[in-house]
Amino acid sequence: MRSLLHPVGPGDQAPDFALGDGGTGPARRLSDFRGSPVVLAFHPPHWDPARGEHVETYNRLIGSLPGLAGTRLLSIGDAGPWRKLTFADDAIALPVLTDDSGDVAALYGVEGSAAVFAIDADGIVRWRHSGAPESSPHPVDVARAITAVARPLIAGDDASRPEWTRREFVATALAAAFALAVLPRSAARAAPTPIADERLRPGRRRATSRVTLHVNGRDLALDLEPRVTLLDALREYAGLTGTKKGCDHGQCGACTVHVDGRRVLSCLTFALMQEGAQITTIEGIGSAEQLHPMQQAFIAHDGFQCGYCTPGQIMSAVAVTKEPWGAGDDDVREAMSGNICRCGAYPGIVAAVQTVRRSGGVQR
Amino acid sequence: MIDFDYVRAADVDGAIRAAAQPASRYVAGGTTLIDLMKLDVERPAHVVDLNPLVRRDPALGAVTDMPNGGLRLGALARMSDVAWEPRVRERYPLVSESLLLAASGQVRNMATIGGNVLQRTRCPYFRDSATPCNKREPGSGCSAIAGINRVHAILGTSDRCIAAHPSDLAVALAALDPIVHVRGESGERTIAFTALHVVPAMHPERETVLRPGDLITAIDLPALPWARRSTYLKVRDRASFAFALASAAVALDVEGSTIRNARVALGGVGTKPWRSREAERALVGRRVTEATFRAAADAALAGARPHTDNAFKINLAKRTLVRALASVAV
Repeated sequence: MRSLLHPVGPGDQAPDFALGDGGTGPARRLSDFRGSPVVLAFHPPHWDPARGEHVETYNRLIGSLPGLAGTRLLSIGDAGPWRKLTFADDAIALPVLTDDSGDVAALYGVEGSAAVFAIDADGIVRWRHSGAPESSPHPVDVARAITAVARPLIAGDDASRPEWTRREFVATALAAAFALAVLPRSAARAAPTPIADERLRPGRRRATSRVTLHVNGRDLALDLEPRVTLLDALREYAGLTGTKKGCDHGQCGACTVHVDGRRVLSCLTFALMQEGAQITTIEGIGSAEQLHPMQQAFIAHDGFQCGYCTPGQIMSAVAVTKEPWGAGDDDVREAMSGNICRCGAYPGIVAAVQTVRRSGGVQR
Repeated sequence: MIDFDYVRAADVDGAIRAAAQPASRYVAGGTTLIDLMKLDVERPAHVVDLNPLVRRDPALGAVTDMPNGGLRLGALARMSDVAWEPRVRERYPLVSESLLLAASGQVRNMATIGGNVLQRTRCPYFRDSATPCNKREPGSGCSAIAGINRVHAILGTSDRCIAAHPSDLAVALAALDPIVHVRGESGERTIAFTALHVVPAMHPERETVLRPGDLITAIDLPALPWARRSTYLKVRDRASFAFALASAAVALDVEGSTIRNARVALGGVGTKPWRSREAERALVGRRVTEATFRAAADAALAGARPHTDNAFKINLAKRTLVRALASVAV
């Protein structure tokens, strides 16, 4: 048993432990994740590593690392102990264990601190940061640490060390990047950097305004130019790409979201106009594990083919069930006329909407 | 899209002051303005957001009863809220119907009453900044007159512009002729709705009598008990979510089989919401017969001037008007 006087550090075998899955699922042991890099984060309870606003921070760090040019994190999904990291050209699931009880913090010697450990696929601690809850590592130090850990990948010629795959490298880089976002002060100190490729924004950059959008029950603090539409804010700045851009002129309905419970077109409103509003996107009505009844109905009735218009169709359909339309199929066709389906899945869409309306199953 | 300064209006006076700067635009629903900004047709330097005004003064976004039996539509009320409002549906069916036949459910949840009546034309050349357009760029010429003009106007045109006014609601309002409340730098004034819009004549860039910084705050529907017998009929290329090729807003006051009073306005065919007092004169005092309705339709379209592709609109508008009148006469 490790003494509390000797905190775990780089090069140490990470002590094994068991954690419940949020108190509801089966216990998981650190050793269950052997073969994959693991992030072990001890952070204040209000901090959530999956918040979209952290995406900027992660991308800033990734962009500063050699060998990762062009790698861009789009979103961080949350499924139990796994964070699904979606990149422009890839997606990986990264286990992130959190310690609610404090027992594991004691085991690692970081009680009362904010701390992050990056543990490699062999269970060896490769990097750690710990400090007072208001402290955070300097991004340059993090980059150095990650580069050192990942040298085999970059050099590509050191056969004495285990080969790192690009995925492992990215995952470990993310492990360290999490550390940067652990503490609010870290994010506040950083210069705001939109995720979108700078080459897409030629000419003079306008000053940005801080806007807090309430999306799917979370507050997202974003620094946006006035001309950023709600649609672009959701997709390009918050990483919520479920909402689709079709025509971008209000004629197709692919970008439909709910604002204060009503269906609107996110392409025809500026994000700054929506401060204080409650915004719900397709990500906010159901999950892969628990679909919204309208999502289930679209599947049951083949309400789509290619699926591109589907998030907008479903957001529109959910709202339609609360609007004072008549009961007929023609009423559904009229009510849904703002959502165009190029595949022509309209009969299935009408059937799906009618099924949900008749079952009254839209109370969620 | 060009850069602009975004201003949240704190109160009506503040909004008007902010919008008094050159190249200012108000934004409420955003469904016309932001669309046209993406096309570089609208290029404002300052965008003044009116939405915060409703939190300060809910009446700006509401439908309220007036002592005389009329209804006040707050300029920031959303199309859908007015369309579904029971008092509107009961007293002014043509207003409710014109709103529900316009745009899509999403757009109606965003677009406001004040913005709706000020929406810009859907003339494809106006929306295409690569082509000449006197409305978008005064003096550059009209691409529609010698171009493809199937959707364009046949009433109120000039040799500078034949763009049709796109609003359905404005046609219903032209029939009712409500009072428009306007606030501007020089204070508050009222304008009869039928005097709000102007025909293009020599200056297609000028669409209303509003001055820079003017803000519509409310539209007062007059007490008109017989407007309960009214309708809005819209004919278009597809069943829903399309602009009118022709439309008719009508209200009839019928006693026995005689028409005592009538209101007629046409959409899809005029360069402004087209009130037809000629048609009304052809109806009042006459018996309710199809011949009477046809005579009214002939009177309404007597001044029509078709172009290459839109001569069909003369017959279409006449038939639309006859059908609308017949549907409320029984």
